[in-house]
Amino acid sequence: MGEFKVHRVRFFDYMPSGIRALAFNQDTERMAVARMDGSVEVFHCSDRFFQEKIIPGREQCGIEGLSWVGERLFSAGLNGGITEYDLTNQKVKYTIDAYGGPIWTITGNQQGTHLAVGCEDGTVKLFEVNEDQIQFERNLDRQKSRIISLSWHPSGSKIAAGMMDMIQVFNVETGHSIHRMLADRGAGTSRSKECVVWSVVYLSDGTIITGDSVGMVKLWDDQTGTLIKSHNVTKCDVLALSVSQNEDSLVAGTSEGIVVQFQFVSMVLEKDDKEWVRTRTFRNHTHDIRAVAEITTAVVSGGMDAQLVVRPLLDKIEVRSAASALRKIHFPHRRLVSCARKSGLMLFQYPGHLELWRLGESEGKGTPGSSLFVKRNPEKLLQLKVKGEDHIRCSAVSPCGGWIVYSTASTLRLYRLHCDNNNISITKISKLPKVLSSANQLCFSSDSSHLFSASAQSSVHIASLSQSGCKFVGTLKPKSGSHQAIHLLAASEDGKWLASANSDHEVHIYNLQTQKAHCTVPVYSSAVTAMGIHPATNCLFMMHADQQMFEYSIEQKQYTDWSRTVQRKGLHRFWVERDTPCLNVMFNPQNPSHVILHDMYMLCIIDQSLPLPDDKTQFYNQLTLKSLTEEQRKSQSHAFKVCKTFKDILCVELMPDQSLVVVERPLEDIATQLPAPIKQKKFAT
Amino acid sequence: MSELTLQFESSDDELPEEVAFDASKSVALKSVKDALDAAKREKNLLKEKRRKKQQLFQEQKKRKLLPQELLEEFDTKPQKQTDLSANKGIYKKVSTKPSHNNKVKEQETGTMPKKTPKSLPVSYRVMRIKDESAAKTLQQRATDFVQSRLYGPGTKRTTNAELLSLKKKRGASQGAAVEFANKKLGACKKARIKRSNKRFIRQQKLIPF
Repeated sequence: MGEFKVHRVRFFDYMPSGIRALAFNQDTERMAVARMDGSVEVFHCSDRFFQEKIIPGREQCGIEGLSWVGERLFSAGLNGGITEYDLTNQKVKYTIDAYGGPIWTITGNQQGTHLAVGCEDGTVKLFEVNEDQIQFERNLDRQKSRIISLSWHPSGSKIAAGMMDMIQVFNVETGHSIHRMLADRGAGTSRSKECVVWSVVYLSDGTIITGDSVGMVKLWDDQTGTLIKSHNVTKCDVLALSVSQNEDSLVAGTSEGIVVQFQFVSMVLEKDDKEWVRTRTFRNHTHDIRAVAEITTAVVSGGMDAQLVVRPLLDKIEVRSAASALRKIHFPHRRLVSCARKSGLMLFQYPGHLELWRLGESEGKGTPGSSLFVKRNPEKLLQLKVKGEDHIRCSAVSPCGGWIVYSTASTLRLYRLHCDNNNISITKISKLPKVLSSANQLCFSSDSSHLFSASAQSSVHIASLSQSGCKFVGTLKPKSGSHQAIHLLAASEDGKWLASANSDHEVHIYNLQTQKAHCTVPVYSSAVTAMGIHPATNCLFMMHADQQMFEYSIEQKQYTDWSRTVQRKGLHRFWVERDTPCLNVMFNPQNPSHVILHDMYMLCIIDQSLPLPDDKTQFYNQLTLKSLTEEQRKSQSHAFKVCKTFKDILCVELMPDQSLVVVERPLEDIATQLPAPIKQKKFAT
Repeated sequence: MSELTLQFESSDDELPEEVAFDASKSVALKSVKDALDAAKREKNLLKEKRRKKQQLFQEQKKRKLLPQELLEEFDTKPQKQTDLSANKGIYKKVSTKPSHNNKVKEQETGTMPKKTPKSLPVSYRVMRIKDESAAKTLQQRATDFVQSRLYGPGTKRTTNAELLSLKKKRGASQGAAVEFANKKLGACKKARIKRSNKRFIRQQKLIPF
């Protein structure tokens, strides 16, 4: 199969940002996730939780809440503004100031007509949702303490607000407070601090459920304004609550990292008197859980440990499939590392800056699995800080190592890089074509002569790069189809073809010489996570979120025979059940039948000349093959060669000298830099 | 035990000692006088303490107040500051700053139209908008509130290193605490400890030359 020298890179100090808010859209089955650094991500729940859209954040954002109104997404934060997002182009549409100070919570009513925000100054502001904008309607009665959480009654006539030390129920029509329920401060040291009612849920039968900083989940009655029942869930805070669509299940997320489920069941079988009973406990997090959401078949939780955990509720699932396994999403589903193959440089994308490193060199040979002596250490050549407050959306380095480009939500910057042995000089190209203002995805051609920038309306701008600078050449527009933003670009080795994949699962292929659309790959139900064009055969190899693979011949405008065989035979169960998407597709010029893929936990070489495995063959057979003789090996080997030596892989690249670069980010290293967790007393420690 | 019995024996056998009435009277009076003196001394001491505290407070108050002239200026001459005080939004907390004193002194020289003096309510302070952007501090204050509620005093927090070390201790393959196993963790702290150890050894001359 091949021996590779592997550069094991661990100097990419990628730190994911903690999750602050979750919002589930029932109709489109999308989960919106807001992170502490202000970025908003949209996951497709039924497509293996693939991260469809990412809207980058900015400095000092302080996002506190997310809310869907129909298909529109709104967020509010401590900077006092309500932001609407343009999900088609993956950017912020507009921000309006609510003039109430920092906003702690935002929630829309079930009818989809109004948005309510809870502000620092004690007001609940109502905004009317119009066609293109939202407009301030009125304030409800102003209260003395800040409004931390809000929940509409499903009818839209009442709203419950969780504040400091109390819960108020407002009549939306009149704006007056109907009930004022005082939350108990608890015993001991917490008596001196105010009790913060972190989250509140209003059910249609009039029950109000609150989670507060004392660690209690309390049920209140809104007719009498009194406490019905209180459950002591934890010693620290209950930070998030979420109720299911049919109001029979409630999940509470705590500071300790446990998610507790309450269900509305009757204590005695076949009797009708139901009550809320604590049923399950999920311990999937190590740090505070800031947001929980209950979707139809699973509980999704996220918090300060920056992982999104999807825990399926097994009583709602009938068939054991990929959807019924616990899923933890650690890394983004986009490439953060780009590689200048010809000069051995790597570009790491951080939210606020870029780092350029040169790979080290080793000498000598060794046995497989041993580490070689490092002759020259890898060195950091450049750190490029972004001007302004926006975070970087995408970046790329040209294959020759002479150009660096990055784009934020508002600007695009191109730099020329001169790299002699010890001197590095970088010059900014100031005169850029006006069209290149902001890009969703960036890609260089293989000879570094052109820059492709994916921008609005699914179109790609082409700019030519030369000594004199950057000149606009043309725009590639798809013949028909959606205007969704492009998230993947792949250029062919010979410079003739360019493929683009957008969020509507459309893959368009353009002819670069005529600058016209060449063909469109038939739309598949799952999103494209990685694609690459084979240097020799010009076949587009695509990997999808449901782990299916397709190979499309560009010149013949149809799927290749190998691809049809794969679809007919089906992929092995172990391949399809993998839970992280493949993020990169590479080819080996020396072995044209090899395709190299990787996901977070494995590296795989697919040999298209070998037979495909069927369900009964052993999938991970590398070790067994080693122990067999030459003859037996030929009969036993199949097309998928999987290597699981490397863990927590962010990126794999193949260099021209037949060495692999594997960029790992051990999860333990991320865990040492997270915020402080709660001290939990465990037995025998 | 035997000593005690001896004592008792000695006191039982002998006659009681004769003590003069005057001597005991003087002793009793003396003890009463001592007690009274002690009480008086205590009272005086407390009085002194109270007086000193009162003086200290007076001094602090004097220091806090602006010099007398400036206070008079404020009452008689209306200045630009009154415009700021006119917008009494709840966020515009206004505070006196040294820069204002300079501003006031400059305007002393010019002629100002005599308007009725407006005084600010007690809870408002004068502040220049240029110096701090009001919105920013509100956001900062809100973040500080959340930080103090989740991570501040009163919360039982531990370090990530301890969490990982405990996981290793109870895990399937038990290993050493993360600080020892992971070289990158606390590298600068370890370097500092190493340097101070070297210094100590050199100082104490523990290693002979």
